[in-house]
Amino acid sequence: MAKARLPRGIFEYVDLGAEDYIALHNNRDAYRSLKIKNRVLVDVSKRSTATEIFGHTIAMPYGISPTASAGLMSEGGEVGLAKAAARMGIPCTAATSALTPMEEIYAKAAKYKDGNLWFQLYMWVDQELRLKFVERIKATGFETLLVTVDGSVGANREHNNRNGYSMPLKYTPKLIAQVLANPGWCARVLAPQFLKRGSFRKANYPAELNSKLSALELDHAHTKPDSQSWDDIKRIRDLWPGNLLVKGLQNVEDAVIAEQNGLQGVVLSNHGGRYLDNAPSPLQVLPEVRKAVGNDFKVILDSGPRRGSDIVKAIALGADMVMSGRPTLYGSAAAGEAGSYRALEIFQTEMDRVMAQLGLNTVDEIGPQIFWNPPDWVPKPPPKLTRAAE
Amino acid sequence: MAKKNNLGAYNIEDLRLMAKKRLPRGIFGFIDGGAEDHIGVANNREAYRQLKIKNRVLIDVSKRSTKTKIFGKEIAMPFGISPTGSAGIAWYGGEVGLAQAAAKMNVPCTVATNALTSMEDIWEKGGGNLWFQLYMWADKEKSMTFMDRVKATGFETLIVTVDGPVHSNREYNYKNGFASPLKYSATMLAQIMSKPGWLIKVLAQHYLRQGAMKKENYPPELARKITDKESSDKHVKSDSQNWDDIKFIRDMWPGNMLIKGLQSKEDAVLAKKNGLDGVVLSNHGGRYVDCAPAPLQVVAETRAAVGDDFTVIIDSGARRGSDLVKAIACGADMVMSGRPTLFGTAAAGMPGAYRALEIFHVEMDRVMAQLGLNTVDEIGPQIFWNPPEWVPQVEQALRAAAE
Repeated sequence: MAKARLPRGIFEYVDLGAEDYIALHNNRDAYRSLKIKNRVLVDVSKRSTATEIFGHTIAMPYGISPTASAGLMSEGGEVGLAKAAARMGIPCTAATSALTPMEEIYAKAAKYKDGNLWFQLYMWVDQELRLKFVERIKATGFETLLVTVDGSVGANREHNNRNGYSMPLKYTPKLIAQVLANPGWCARVLAPQFLKRGSFRKANYPAELNSKLSALELDHAHTKPDSQSWDDIKRIRDLWPGNLLVKGLQNVEDAVIAEQNGLQGVVLSNHGGRYLDNAPSPLQVLPEVRKAVGNDFKVILDSGPRRGSDIVKAIALGADMVMSGRPTLYGSAAAGEAGSYRALEIFQTEMDRVMAQLGLNTVDEIGPQIFWNPPDWVPKPPPKLTRAAE
Repeated sequence: MAKKNNLGAYNIEDLRLMAKKRLPRGIFGFIDGGAEDHIGVANNREAYRQLKIKNRVLIDVSKRSTKTKIFGKEIAMPFGISPTGSAGIAWYGGEVGLAQAAAKMNVPCTVATNALTSMEDIWEKGGGNLWFQLYMWADKEKSMTFMDRVKATGFETLIVTVDGPVHSNREYNYKNGFASPLKYSATMLAQIMSKPGWLIKVLAQHYLRQGAMKKENYPPELARKITDKESSDKHVKSDSQNWDDIKFIRDMWPGNMLIKGLQSKEDAVLAKKNGLDGVVLSNHGGRYVDCAPAPLQVVAETRAAVGDDFTVIIDSGARRGSDLVKAIACGADMVMSGRPTLFGTAAAGMPGAYRALEIFHVEMDRVMAQLGLNTVDEIGPQIFWNPPEWVPQVEQALRAAAE
């Protein structure tokens, strides 16, 4: 539905990945390759997908990843995402690069039902701007901060170049042709945006970082420096009293360093296959990371879940929660807030059904005993569970 | 990015498709294809693609560099252009364009015995870090005269191709009517007529300026038009070649000498024992033994067998900057490849060849940053996730380093 409703360049920006899409496909294959065994005659009438993260009860171990393009999916798309998440009772992450200011998203969604808004940060080169920005996030009311650390160099997304979709956004003939070929999108998204807010801009950027997407100055060097290091994280740690996580790592060593630096957790991610094309799936590195860090340290993963069963599989391998960006973006493009909510509803009902099929009543019961003939990166179930299963 | 800079090519595959569009089918097939069932060609790519690498975060990589050294000379990245006989068929003066592109990027480029431009011409007009590739002549005296010529031209590094004692079985060439000697068969002529751009820009130009396409490096008494009925092959590769021939050349050649086209660690050890400076592991781009492993798959065991003080280069299959990083991590000193710059040459001459090199360089630089690596020396097996058994294990590498 999103594909039918979006200009091609924008749909592919959301849908595709880096270089040869090896990581993109592997992210799905990693989930699909895992076989799970049903259990029968277990009373599952009182089952629940609810769990807890950072002291909040959430409807299922799932949260919305930060994405910069919800505002291109539907008018006010970011607010729609946040409201859909609040209605479902799961976390939603607002992005630094969003097209709606964080204050607006927070005001409209944080106090709405079970609002649980997180914020995602890209570290800018300018220290002072960066620290002021962290203060602004704190003042807005966010409690949980994800710092994205896998953007030190631009990813190689060739489809964007071919489609004339690039940052800074240029109205190339190709892009204009694609936009005009999609009058529905113009009427629903582009026109209201221009009328209400003017041209698309990265609304969170301070005036110093000129933020119009079509501005000529390429902002990558300013927003995602290749000199960023753990020292930068330590400075943010000192300023940020809430939960702090880094997102975009794949390496046991990096996760251990994050724990040593006093962070609350990590989001294992290959940026949805959009960054390093030869990266393993976060699902594949999850067990070794879980083994290397303490139990209180949150290990979240993103990149690839599309089914409720995927959430169950990730939890079984040691994740505390799963995140994903594209499913709710597709929903947003298809039908705004209602579409995003539908994406969440699909995950929730599917997860609920699979838990029943596996004979599981609570999220805590999910473990590696559910797998049949798993590959070598899946941990063997602990003996106790094996015995319980017998 | 403006089109004039990148030629509308964002990766090597784009250049390949551009080459396919411009070249007569038989000629594109000759460059692109492999032996028999194309198992080797496919496996060369698959070996690279299947290796998963893990990014590292929050490491300052602002001072990273893809530069390295080979035979005492600094090069822009651990990549060199493999010898190919057909650059002159892809573009008029293609060999000179290849050499110029390599010089501009500062990577080595290897001039082939079978080139359609003479080695002296390429040396003069191309410049840069040029190596020479030799097919051994059956006649020893001719070999000596030829070697003197290579030396006198100024080459310092010599690669002797040793995987050609018998012809490989490239069936599509027969089907396309592309064979050596080249025959203007009806199929071939029809293919050429369907690509008038190539006919005018390459074939006609060559005829007007140089006459028929010839292997210009061959001694005058052997110099052969590529259409000559009697194959020149009987004067070069012979199925009686052996290590004595290599010793004979080693004695005459004072510079760096490598052999190319081996895949067995036993052969690499023999090469070292015979006083060579290195080897180029190669399955000839999947064009020789169809069921050969990829050089990438045998580089680790070869490195373990020959030690660190011997140059091990691999070719066959590299198409992405990440492939260079993977090869270095498995123990190679440098990667070579022939097709990518040939595709570029066929697409746009020298700028096309340069674009191929630029793609490798930009991609390698990006992947190094993503992996948190600042220098080529830092690249090692620690980058792999869950590697297959032919990849050197990190523990082994650490132990070897400690010893």
